Amino acid sequence: MRIVGPDELVFGVDDPAACRSFLADYGLMEAPAPDGAHFFEALDGTGFTLRRRDDPALPAPLRTGSMLRLTVWGVEDQASLDAIEAELSRDRKVDKAADGTLRCQDDAGFEIAFRISTRRKLDLPAEMINSPGAKPGRPANVIGANQDAEARPRTLSHIVYFVPDMDKMANFYIDRLKFVVTDKFNNAGPFLRPQANWDHHCLFMIQTPEYMQGLEHVAFHMQGPTDLMLAGSRMVKKGYESFWGPGRHKFGSNWFWYFNSPLGTHIEYDADMDLHDDEWEARYADIQPETAQMFLFENVEKWTPGGPPPGKK
Amino acid sequence: MTLHQRRFETVVPDRPIGRLDDIADGHSRGFDPLGEGRDTMFVVRRGGSVFAYRNHCPHYDRARMAWKKDEFMNGDRSQIMCSAHGALFSIEDGACTQGPCLGLSLYPVAVELRDGEIWITEPYAPGFWRERSA
Repeated sequence: MRIVGPDELVFGVDDPAACRSFLADYGLMEAPAPDGAHFFEALDGTGFTLRRRDDPALPAPLRTGSMLRLTVWGVEDQASLDAIEAELSRDRKVDKAADGTLRCQDDAGFEIAFRISTRRKLDLPAEMINSPGAKPGRPANVIGANQDAEARPRTLSHIVYFVPDMDKMANFYIDRLKFVVTDKFNNAGPFLRPQANWDHHCLFMIQTPEYMQGLEHVAFHMQGPTDLMLAGSRMVKKGYESFWGPGRHKFGSNWFWYFNSPLGTHIEYDADMDLHDDEWEARYADIQPETAQMFLFENVEKWTPGGPPPGKK
Repeated sequence: MTLHQRRFETVVPDRPIGRLDDIADGHSRGFDPLGEGRDTMFVVRRGGSVFAYRNHCPHYDRARMAWKKDEFMNGDRSQIMCSAHGALFSIEDGACTQGPCLGLSLYPVAVELRDGEIWITEPYAPGFWRERSA
């Protein structure tokens, strides 16, 4: 099944003003949305819809009170959509909206939807670096350090759920929707990619007690490590709470920087994730500090060595 | 708590951490009593009363709770919210009412008001986990 990746997450929030200012500062751009909703998008049009928590237009909430109300997956074409409808209709009610969007619940009880992906195709440069022994990544006189770079999230990267039964949840995506396991933390859960996306993971899950079911984090891809550092340090400067990072993960190789958010979930910047095709063989490890990251840093205020010698002014 | 015992000593601070008037009624504010460079506790004001807790979500070790400097509350300011995963806590006793920490409570900080100033009244341990080199 040709699922491309997450197109849109829908949230029911209790402080819309806080969420809007957070998402704008994170780098998403507000785009037109239906009445009562606000839509914030990355450069390719993937993003978040916000509504008030009690908005009747929202799917029913999880009993845990998670603000995530719906995950919308984009698929390649109508044939993929038809295949998903046929497969999932075998054992559950699948609603079909006038525009063809399919809606149902996964085996963990999360509300999910499928539509032909609305992602805009991006044609943008990668981060360009110079490296001895390699051809220059940037031509002569092209500057790498641009303090004013926009550093906007490019596309929705991945979702990480808290689930009470990791195997049940994972098997739904693997068996029914043909997601592929790229790697697995034995004591947390598998990293999954859908068939039409080579990213190391679009979906990950962490096993938790039932009362925790919800969203651990959601991530957007940045141009590269420099944009990730720049965007994250701007967030810190504005007073936002860094949760973890910057650093670089091992599984997936993606650079990461996670922030708390008023959406009741961590929101991550990531960059330079591994791609895998069907030849890849999954690795297995227990999650622990050594396996979760190659290295970890923490932001501090800008500082410069130097100044006059001791005793001089 | 051994990780927290490195460079900063556990003491009863000899000065107030702030003034009641610094916190708008119904709002929260973070404080850094030992000068560790991070807010290691926060205070919620309700009228003339204050409720103080460590800036540590009981869900994850070392998890700080605000989504932005001084923002420790949910939307209608009826409860304390951890912005890591949305856990809600009673303002009065710190008990988790919804989310990842059900059955757990925030760690209270003993404070009292003296002439409009907020004082910590019991030994206060460092809260920033990172080892410091100087």
